[in-house]
Amino acid sequence: MNKKWILVLGSLTIVGIIAAILIYVFVYNKPHPDYIKAKTDFSISATELFVEFQSDTQAANEKYNGKVLAVKGSLSSVETTDMQTIAVFAIEEGLFGDEGIRMSMLTEYSDKVSQYTPGGEITIKGYCSGYNETDVIMEHCSIIE
Amino acid sequence: MKHLITSILLISLTITGVSAQKYITKTGHILFFSSTPMEDIEAHNRQVNAALDAETGELVFRVLMKSFQFEKALMQEHFNENFVESNKFPNSSFKGKITNIKDVDFTKNGTYEVNIEGDLTIKDATKRINEKGTLEVNGDKVRGLSTFSVLVSDYNIKVPNTVANNIAKSIRVDVDINLEKSAK
Repeated sequence: MNKKWILVLGSLTIVGIIAAILIYVFVYNKPHPDYIKAKTDFSISATELFVEFQSDTQAANEKYNGKVLAVKGSLSSVETTDMQTIAVFAIEEGLFGDEGIRMSMLTEYSDKVSQYTPGGEITIKGYCSGYNETDVIMEHCSIIE
Repeated sequence: MKHLITSILLISLTITGVSAQKYITKTGHILFFSSTPMEDIEAHNRQVNAALDAETGELVFRVLMKSFQFEKALMQEHFNENFVESNKFPNSSFKGKITNIKDVDFTKNGTYEVNIEGDLTIKDATKRINEKGTLEVNGDKVRGLSTFSVLVSDYNIKVPNTVANNIAKSIRVDVDINLEKSAK
């Protein structure tokens, strides 16, 4: 009888430990999405995207925020700071300089985007964070072509 | 005499016009930090918009909540979906001023202590805040630094019971902006 209980308790403990490890690995510690491989929700030109946000911010917020976008445009500049590289599609001149799409590049694409000549066509894919009244902001960006 | 007064007025207006200089950045950094015995959580946003009017001291920040990056994906999901409901409230903002802007000499390099007062809006809640910070003037560049705390309960942020012990009641916010003289 005792042996049977030990076996039951032992099995339950092992199942419990395995469940805890699985929860830790797959839920608590699950990795961030891979935005390079992620499915593109919308393919759109930089100008169209900017105009949509500018003309009806709420509708564009609902449509694009949190989605993966592939944005095609003419690369205006690449800004580099200590911690990040930002590719810019400037669409218009605002009160505080250029306004458009600002895309924070994934580390592995930082050098690559810097090699592009400003003015050339490029399609950049990334996660859309929204519009801050001057620019559409994208994160985790990679180059499609 | 009349001409002299007109000239002086014109010169003063021109000087005022020149000194009404704006400093801006689109790559400001905001870090927030929550510390509990269970775990420490921090998140970074490096695409923060900020503008400072050197004449009036007016200071404005705009922050997209979905741009905050967490180490753990699960925490980032909780933050966006439950805590700040970033689909419903995508932006946070600060609108206020540096009340002692006259103490800052933008023509002289150095570090100046400043008092910041204004409205901080997160989700649908706006609170008046009064904090200290520094401005480091270096040529045409000005670095702004400030550290303060916000109470989670002040901004209608509802923390689910399952993670209540993992989230501090008071969150530390570090602001670090490298402003540059606006061309306009």
